[in-house]
Amino acid sequence: MMHVKLTAHTLVYYAFAITMLIFTVLLSHTAFFTTANLLNILMQTSPIVVMAIGLSFALSVGHIDLSIGAIVAICGLVAAMLLQSYGITIAVVVSLLLGGLIGALNGYLCERLGIPSLIVTLGMLGFLTGFSRQLSGLQSIPIIDPQFISLFGQGTVIGIPSQILWLAGLVFLAHTILNKLRFGRHLFAVGASKPAAHSMGLVVSRIRVCAMALSGGFAALAGLLYAGRMQSARYAIGESDLMALIAAVALGGCSLLGGRVNIIGVLLGVWLIGCINNGLILSGFSSNEQMMVKGIILIAAVIVTSKVNK
Amino acid sequence: MLSKLRHCEKACIKLFLGILVCLSCNHLAVANSSDGFTLTQQQEAKVQDAKLTAVMAWHGSSPWVNSVTLGAKEEFKRLGIEVLAVTEAHYDPAKQISDLETLAALTPDILLSLSIDSLSAKPSYLRLSKAGTQLVLLSNPIAGFIHGQDFAGLVGDNVDGMGRAAANLVAQAIDSQGKVGMIYHEADYHITNKRDEAFVDALEQYEDIHLMVKKGFVKKSQTAQLTAAMLIQHPDLKAIYVSWDAAAEGVIESLRIANRKDVKVISHDLGTNNLLDMALHGNMYGAVSDRPHQIGTLMARIGAGAATDVSTPLYTQVNYNSVTFENIAESWRLAFKTPLPHILKSVLEQSQEATGHGEDHDAR
Repeated sequence: MMHVKLTAHTLVYYAFAITMLIFTVLLSHTAFFTTANLLNILMQTSPIVVMAIGLSFALSVGHIDLSIGAIVAICGLVAAMLLQSYGITIAVVVSLLLGGLIGALNGYLCERLGIPSLIVTLGMLGFLTGFSRQLSGLQSIPIIDPQFISLFGQGTVIGIPSQILWLAGLVFLAHTILNKLRFGRHLFAVGASKPAAHSMGLVVSRIRVCAMALSGGFAALAGLLYAGRMQSARYAIGESDLMALIAAVALGGCSLLGGRVNIIGVLLGVWLIGCINNGLILSGFSSNEQMMVKGIILIAAVIVTSKVNK
Repeated sequence: MLSKLRHCEKACIKLFLGILVCLSCNHLAVANSSDGFTLTQQQEAKVQDAKLTAVMAWHGSSPWVNSVTLGAKEEFKRLGIEVLAVTEAHYDPAKQISDLETLAALTPDILLSLSIDSLSAKPSYLRLSKAGTQLVLLSNPIAGFIHGQDFAGLVGDNVDGMGRAAANLVAQAIDSQGKVGMIYHEADYHITNKRDEAFVDALEQYEDIHLMVKKGFVKKSQTAQLTAAMLIQHPDLKAIYVSWDAAAEGVIESLRIANRKDVKVISHDLGTNNLLDMALHGNMYGAVSDRPHQIGTLMARIGAGAATDVSTPLYTQVNYNSVTFENIAESWRLAFKTPLPHILKSVLEQSQEATGHGEDHDAR
């Protein structure tokens, strides 16, 4: 019989399994386990998973990126505006490049000026939020390009929603980068100990800037997924996702201090939060009750994590 | 090129809204205003037999939203309709879409909702209405939606009238002369934008009132700082208009710190803190209040009617009234259909005894 030890790394697997078991008992009479509802959960959480993957890259080298939500908004807006005049290719490429560049700028400022990423990305969050509001004139930018909507929003390939395909592809890509490529090992080495990584001959600054650029790039992709799903872009998109992201990566077994990232854990962490949100709504909990239950679950998860780490 | 396109798009949206308002006014004449939609006994019996279910997807939470929900729940209960779930999106359009998708899994017969961003929420609403759910909207119309096909009806405030009433309260507070400041909601939000615009337009008719300064806020926590800055730049202001009650709390806080009891505050909606200040003859001079409980009741009734094939009005408008010291208690009852909070009641009684006002006057 196989025993899996409960650690911070495996906590999310147990939490996910236990939550599903509880839901099987409590929500079997509701629509929770219908295919349509489970697909809903997957699609609703797709942009958040992509953002969480981006954050994982930043965390892997010991940075944090608080500007992710604002990058989501600005990249979605830029894509929506460019779509009207230049078509899907230019809109998507420029949007992704913009996200990557903003992330790289965050990283550069941290490395060059020696400012903590918390401060740099907090400043970038403020700047980008104001810039998005200015750029959009506080209006939603509609998206009517059928190709874009199909690719990032409502489309399907052999019956599988495009958002889920994006999700699967990006999770695979991130997992491969972090676990199979040399670059991934470099990220973990830098996150675990900068001096040790430096003595190994790694260019620590460049690796950290690359990690932040990846964080920005994934945030831009999340912006495109949001824009496709909502068929419009808005300055406030992604603004309220930051707390859910941090909760998801913590639940997923990532170290907020760097050096430890688990992409599958992050994926399950986001899904766990999405399932809890969905289950509580279907159970008829009021908004206030939902917030209380989510808070209790988060505290319980952190307690268990800290206990099993001792 | 891009700006021209956006300009054209805005013009089209404004044209559509204009047409909608005109259509709405025509229906209003037929549908009356406050109790604008009623069901006959036979129709109510049919609703009860139908064993309907309902959900609500709100934009955010506040005492105002709670009162709408309460009004709707009471009416649903009276009609034998089960409420399956109530969501609120924290003013996040993406969360509202997720909420709508989740609620769709419950296959409700009726959905009551206020859309945060009608553009992005439109596909989710359409999916529900195509699945047979009767959608009743609050305040914000959805461009391109056809009445009777995509939605059962729209219930809303007379936002222009409320803006005008606020301007009249300002004039009343400062004897129709002096300098005025405005702290407005700087976001794309139909109700507050229209109300603020109507206020500015109506204030222009007073020749001796000068709107000296306008400052926008994004979060209600910013209004205290904005007021402090406003007072430094324009110390001779006699009144400040604020977009809604909760945002006015920061303005009053700032005026108290600056010891400026002479500056009067006028706002929209009712909240206990500001009404206490009004009862104590503080800075809060007046507010314009609508009828959230009645909105909920009407929305529930329209949804029930539509779900049982009763013809429902395109647009139903609820009344509003100006609130000053004299009619606080009556206005509260009209708005929320609940007793006055104990603390407000006792302060009001003490204040009325001190000033010689024995009882409330009519709210209008």
